[in-house]
Parts: sequence; structure tokens; C-alpha cells
Amino acid sequence: MKFTPIIGLEVHVELQTKSKMFCSCDASHFHAIPNTHTCPVCLGLPGALPVPNRTACEYCVKLGLALGCTINTETFFERKNYFYPDLAKSYQITQLQKPFAINGKITIDDHEIRINRAHMEEDTGKSVHQTIDCLDSTLIDYNRSGVPLVEIVSEPDITSPEMAKNYLLKIQQIVRYIGISDADIEKGSMRCEPTVNLKVEDNGEVFYTPMAEIKNVASLTGVQTAIQFEIDRQTKVFEETREVKSHTNKTTRGWDADKNQTFLQREKEGSADYRYFPEPDIPPIIFTDQEVEKIRESLPELPEQKIKKYKEKYELSDYDANLIAGDKHFSDIFDSVINGKGETLPIQGYAKFLANIFNGAIRTYLNENALELDISKMYNNYFWNLYVAVSESKISSTVAKQVIVESYQTGKDPVEIAKEKGLIQVSDSGEIEKIAKEVISQNAKAVEDYRKNPASIGFLIGQLMKASKGSANPQLAKEILEKLLK
Amino acid sequence: MELNKLTLIDAIKGIKEKKFSSTELVSDCLDKIEKLEPILNAFVTIDKDNALNQSKNIDITKPLAGIPIAIKDNFCVKGIKVTASSNLLKDYTAQYTATVIQKLQDAGAIVIGKTNMDAWAHGSSTETSDFGPTKNPWNPLHLPGGSSGGSAAAVASDEVVTSIGSETAGSIRQPSAWCGTVGLKPSYGRVSRYGVIAMGSSMDCPGPITKTVDDAALLLSIISGHDPKDATSINQKPWEIPAPLKDLKGLKIGLPKAYFPDGIKFAVKEAVLNAAETLKKLGAEIIELDVLDPKYAIAVYTVLQRSEVSSNLARFTGIRYGHPRSTFGDEAIRRIMLGTYTLSSGYYDAYYLQAQKVRTLIIEDFEKQFKKVDAIIGPTSPTTALLLGATEGQSMFGELEDMLVEPSTLAGLPGISVHCGFGDGLPIGLQIITPQLREDLAVNIARLFESNTDYHLQHPNL
Repeated sequence: MKFTPIIGLEVHVELQTKSKMFCSCDASHFHAIPNTHTCPVCLGLPGALPVPNRTACEYCVKLGLALGCTINTETFFERKNYFYPDLAKSYQITQLQKPFAINGKITIDDHEIRINRAHMEEDTGKSVHQTIDCLDSTLIDYNRSGVPLVEIVSEPDITSPEMAKNYLLKIQQIVRYIGISDADIEKGSMRCEPTVNLKVEDNGEVFYTPMAEIKNVASLTGVQTAIQFEIDRQTKVFEETREVKSHTNKTTRGWDADKNQTFLQREKEGSADYRYFPEPDIPPIIFTDQEVEKIRESLPELPEQKIKKYKEKYELSDYDANLIAGDKHFSDIFDSVINGKGETLPIQGYAKFLANIFNGAIRTYLNENALELDISKMYNNYFWNLYVAVSESKISSTVAKQVIVESYQTGKDPVEIAKEKGLIQVSDSGEIEKIAKEVISQNAKAVEDYRKNPASIGFLIGQLMKASKGSANPQLAKEILEKLLK
Repeated sequence: MELNKLTLIDAIKGIKEKKFSSTELVSDCLDKIEKLEPILNAFVTIDKDNALNQSKNIDITKPLAGIPIAIKDNFCVKGIKVTASSNLLKDYTAQYTATVIQKLQDAGAIVIGKTNMDAWAHGSSTETSDFGPTKNPWNPLHLPGGSSGGSAAAVASDEVVTSIGSETAGSIRQPSAWCGTVGLKPSYGRVSRYGVIAMGSSMDCPGPITKTVDDAALLLSIISGHDPKDATSINQKPWEIPAPLKDLKGLKIGLPKAYFPDGIKFAVKEAVLNAAETLKKLGAEIIELDVLDPKYAIAVYTVLQRSEVSSNLARFTGIRYGHPRSTFGDEAIRRIMLGTYTLSSGYYDAYYLQAQKVRTLIIEDFEKQFKKVDAIIGPTSPTTALLLGATEGQSMFGELEDMLVEPSTLAGLPGISVHCGFGDGLPIGLQIITPQLREDLAVNIARLFESNTDYHLQHPNL
């Protein structure tokens, strides 16, 4: 038997608009005091009415464009009716028939994952389960109720847990690039519900296992492990029962991150009837072609485009290009540093130098100290000065890595730091010759060794470097010593 | 002094000219309310102390300075109970104020109390109120109509000088017809729905129920206008009261044959045809019209409204608001069940979607008619006020009573009902329907009709 996973992802992204989707309440809710960002609308009080947030709709269109979707310029909201204690109105305002964006795609390692839709909806409140006065209680925090949410639904084109993770990372990257959300999975501003089943090929016959939707996955690694668990579970169940997918046996399974396993939450998912109908409180939403074009023009250069540029124009390696483009902050400052020097010089050398500094010294420093990149500490001219110094052999690449970190910490010019610390390489051959002569006269034994074994010159170079306090250009030092000892 | 008997316009004048004080007016209304409530049951809540307190401190420069006003109990007024005449909300105090009420209060009006209605506005009798029926002031053995029956009865009986109701299909006009008041239902979106407990959201519309056409026009000019809190409110400035017409010369008024269905009460038919004669004498050309049979409107309205109701009432989960869903009355339960059914997968296309298509046909039919005529008239209701108990076992009661106003409701059109006669001592209403946003024309025709008849000057003997 051959098992191939079929995975589709529903991704919810909370938009970082100032106000909520249908009222003027503050949309930020992380760590806010419960029920302080609420009003009659998001509490669902009788008589209150929703007024759509145009900026949120624009963000949804923007995301749709970034995902290569077709935009529905005339669309409307619908009510999805269901009961849940934290759903204030007992219906969610969402989109079913005509999402803002349809038919997009994302490419991961040459594998195309089609995007079915990206639609606009509102978040629900949050149920908080607590024991109060020895009673198991559920408290409801409506701060999150009505926060704008975009749901991105993929086609079931994902074939492995790792691909699912990469797909999520890609969505996260794009969302952050276009600046509509921090898409932080741990904070809940990006949430993911994978649906998994298996294609089974057995003796020329093809079967499909029952579909399972996995809920409560709250981390990137969780997504990967949960999907893998589900693949293994379904493989085992199929081998035992040979049960195949039907319209009524889709299940919802929760992810238990402590036990690393999924568990059954709801059966017969296929029979849920949400009684969708057009939201009578909100007139159709219309974007003119010009408005869509304006949003398209406002899109920044996206990661794909950046990687292409880094590789083709700057001749960076695949590794460097991906690493820099992977983080919007890094790539923005990288572009800004490069652009600061215009297009005049052979840019590839500078780009390579910057990539080494960015992906090496700075990234290592940030990672070791668990810091976020602070772009205000990055000065375009410092990088250029350092590059010039290294190209002219005034500063060694080792020293460059050291001083750039110090520059990042202190805000001082890295070349000045090198000067102050006497780390400028001496490439004046007269000066080095003077030191070399001293070293030769003081190390008769080593000179003797050299004459027997030329490979032992390293010791003398070391002595010379020491005497120059590390400032001598090591290559030049070697050449001069060899000349003097001939 | 019985200041409560004054019209809104005269009451404003009296206070501005200091002929009497707001407190005297409020007191007279409260006296009358106290006297008549045991009979009428027009009010769910009477805010006596607040009303008296507010009347002592008024800003005379405001257009409605010191005027007490009765409000249908589906409008939220912060700090006052809002029950929609339902047991489920009998202990619920509004947490904010509806836009319409805010505008009235900003204009100086005082909320004197909240009026009875069919529970959740489900009905045309006020008999389905969970707090008992309101009685018709002209004959307390009869119904006042509904759902704004409390507001109409309170105005007709002079318990108050004026009131606000709301209409989804007929709930302003039909009780006005049965109680002999003026009911002005504005174009959908002309007046904000924010803070009105939703019934059929795509049709709900607040409006005045008053003693005269001028009173209604004045209130509409105050409560109308774009509201950023209601996405369906029309982006228009507040409606302006039109200059009166001298006569109706050059106006074509349509009289649809279909608005005189089989079973229409003879006195109603006679009064409306007489009214047409009056309009003709005023210069209008009366043209008989072939319109879409109103029976289609009943079907469409029933499906759409029940669908919206089932969703709108879902928020009363039993977790909040203090009472379980079993507290819903029979009519609400029937509507929730029917609406849930019509929205269910497999039935949606056959009912909801089909109803929306027919709704479009109804709108197109009105557009067609308004190419031939400037306004359409007809009876507001095919009968005069029915006896108490008439709704029992009649789950389609409201729809039949409202069949003559439902087509224009579905098209979102404005309409006004004015008192045009009596049948067995009970009032008869004439409705005037005009194109979208042409309240000015409806008001002007009604105003001329009123000033050439004296029905509005008659009061019930209570």
C-alpha cells in the first residue's frame, strides 16, 4: 500500500487595523484588560448595527493581490449562524459566496499550492476557562469580538508536514511584508487549521481516508507534528478498518500539545448547517478598478521578487538571498544600504560583503542575545566606510565582523572603532619591514627553524602580528619576512 | 387644562410662547395616562419621575423643547428598560441610546414612556405582547392594530401629544389607520435603525405616529438624516419639511384595483373612494392602475422577514439577558422555526433566494407604475379595527392585515396613512405611497387632504 498525504490549510490572520471590523473599538486585544475594548456593536447588544471597516477590506484586497488572486470588486457580507457562548450575536459576519479574493497561488520549492480564497470576517470573543470558588467556570472576554480577520483557504495541494510549515511561513512572510498584521502564531494573530486525509493506492485501487480538521494548533512546530501525527494515525486506522471518506464522516480533532496527539472533538462535520444568507445590515462592498490598481501599486516588493533580484542582480547565493529576503526588516535595511550607494560601482562585491556582515556578524549577535533587529542602529555610510576599509586591506574581515557589532551597540563608525583600538591593518611595507627586522633579530631560534623548514614561518608571522598589535596586513607581513630571510 | 389634547405643533407653540410650562404639559399627559392605562394598556414603562424632572429644566431654544414623547418599546433609551414587549427582555435595561432617540433628546424632547407592541414587533394587533394587549381608544373591545399599537393608541387617546413607532411592514401605518392617527413610514434608510431592536433588518424603519400631518413632518425632519452607525442609512441630509401645495393640479394619483381585494370592508372601500374624490376635487387626476397582486408580497415578505428574524433573535441565547429561550412567546417561536427552515441548506434556493427575486419584480413593478403616476393611494388596511382575540389561531393574521402595505415596504418606499372616515364608529385609514425619497409629495398630498376634511379633529370618547 502506498499512502500520500492530502493536506489543505485554513489560515486566519488578524488584521492590525486601528479599529475593529464593524465598530470603532480599539482592535488590539493582546494582554488588554478583559472587556475593556467593547461597545454595543461588538457585544452584540440588541439594536446595535455593524458598519464595515473600509481599511480592513482594503487590507484583504491587498493580501489577495499579494497572493496572486483575482479580486471580486463587487462583493457582500453574509451571516453564518451558529451558537457558541463567545459569539456575541450568535452569527458571524463573514463571506461565503463572493470572497474579496479568489484563485491565487504560492510556490514553495517549485511546488505550486493553489489558494482557493481569501475572505474577510470578524473574530469571536474568547472563552477563558477558570475555577472560581471551586466551580469550573467559563468567562468570556469580548475584546477580541469583532477584530478583523482574513481567512485564507488553500486547495489540498500540500503533500507533507514540512511543506505545510513552509506554506505557513510563506503566508506569514507575505503578510508581514505588506504590513497588515504581525502574524504571530504564538500570540494568536495568525492561526491555522489543517485538514488532512490520505490517498491510498493498493493493488491498482485508489482509496481516500476520512478527512480530519485539526484545531487548536498554536505553534509552527505544532502544525508540523500535528499533521505528522494525523498521517500516522490515519495510516494505522486505514490498515485496521479500511474506512474511506464519505460526506458524513469528516471529523474535527483537537491538538493536545502536551501529549503530542490529536483527539476527537466532533463527528459528522458534514451535517453542520450554518444557514448563510446575505447580511441585511451591510450594503454591498464595491471597489472600483482604479481603487484596486491603487492598492496594487501600494504593494511593496514581495519576498519572491527580492530573492530574484538578490540572485540575479547582486549575484548572491541562494542561501544568502533567502536569508535576507526572509525577514522584511533585514531586507529593507539591506536594500536601503545598497541603494544608498546607487548603481555606480560594481554592486555585486558590496552586496556580497553586506550579505556576509548581515547574515554573519549581525545575525549571530542578535541571535546570541535574543534581540530583534533595530534598524535605527544601522547607518548606511558606516557599512560603506567599512567596505572601503576592507577592500583597501585596512581592516581585515575578522576585524570587520568585530567592529560592526560594536558599532551596532554603540552607534559609532566601525572604522573609527578600529582606529581607536589600533586594529587598522598596516599595509605600509616600510613600516612592516622595520618590525620584521626586529622580529628576526629577536627570534634567532625561529629563524633557524625556518631555514630548515619554510613551513614554520607561521611562528614568525605571529610574532610580527603581535608586535604590530595585530594591525599588520598578514599577507604583506609574510611576503616581507620571506624576502628578508632569503 | 388638558394640554395633552394639543397637537405637537400647538404644544411647541404654547411652551415657546410661555402659555404653559413643559411641566404642566407633562403633568397633564401623566394624569391622562394614569386615568386611561387601566383600560388601554398602551404603555410598558412610564418614566414619570425622570420626565417631570427633565420638564423643569428645558432649553427653550430647541425645536422640541419640553415636549413629552411616547416611544415604542423596541427603541433603546439608555437607563430605561427596553423589552420589545417580551418576557425574555422584561428585566433588560438599555445600555445605550438609539440614534432616533438621541436626535429627539438633542432637540429637547422628553421620553415620557415606552409603548406596548406585539412582542418583538411580530404582529399587527399588539395582542401578541407578552404584557397583554393594548385596546383601541375608539372602542376598547377592539384591537389597536400593530405592531406599534401602543404608540398609536397613546396618541389617539391623547395620553400624549405625539409618539414614535417603527414599521417593518405596516407597523406604523396599520395601527394609525385603526386608531385614526397619522402614521408616516419613511423610505428605507431615511431614518437610522441604530438602537432599534431588529426585526426584519432589510425593511425595519422608524417613523412618527402623530395627531396631524404637520406633526409627522416635523418629527421626520428631526429624526432623519445619515447615521454613520447604520451602514444602510442613506447618505442624505435630514429631510426638510416641504412648502405646502395650494392644490393638486397636474398631479396624477394612481388607484390600484388590486388594493380593493375580495372581503374588503364596504365602509373602507367607500371611505377610500370618497377620499379619491376629495383629491380629485383638489385638482389631482385619478388613474386606475393594474399592479402586481399584493398576494405575492405576502409570500415574499413572510419568507424574508422570518429568515431575518430567526437570525436576529439568535443572540438571545439564554446565557445573557436573564431569561431562557423558552421564554419566547408562541409567535416568536413560530417565526424562528419558519425562518430557520427557509434558510436551511437545500431550502434556501427555493425560499429565500426565490423571495429575493420576486422582491426585485415588486420593486420593478413600482418603478413602472411611477412612470404613469406621481403617487399611489389605497386603503391602509382592508378592515377597521378587529375585535380582541381576532388573532388567536391566525398565524398569518398580520400578513393579511398588512397585505396592502407590504408591497411598498418590500420596495423600501415611503408612505403615509391618514384618517379618512369611519366604519361602525372605528377609524379608516387612507394610505399614500410615493417614490423612494419622495416623502415631500406624500406629506403634501396628505396635508391637503387633511385640511379639506375633519376626521383628524375627532377624538374618541374616553
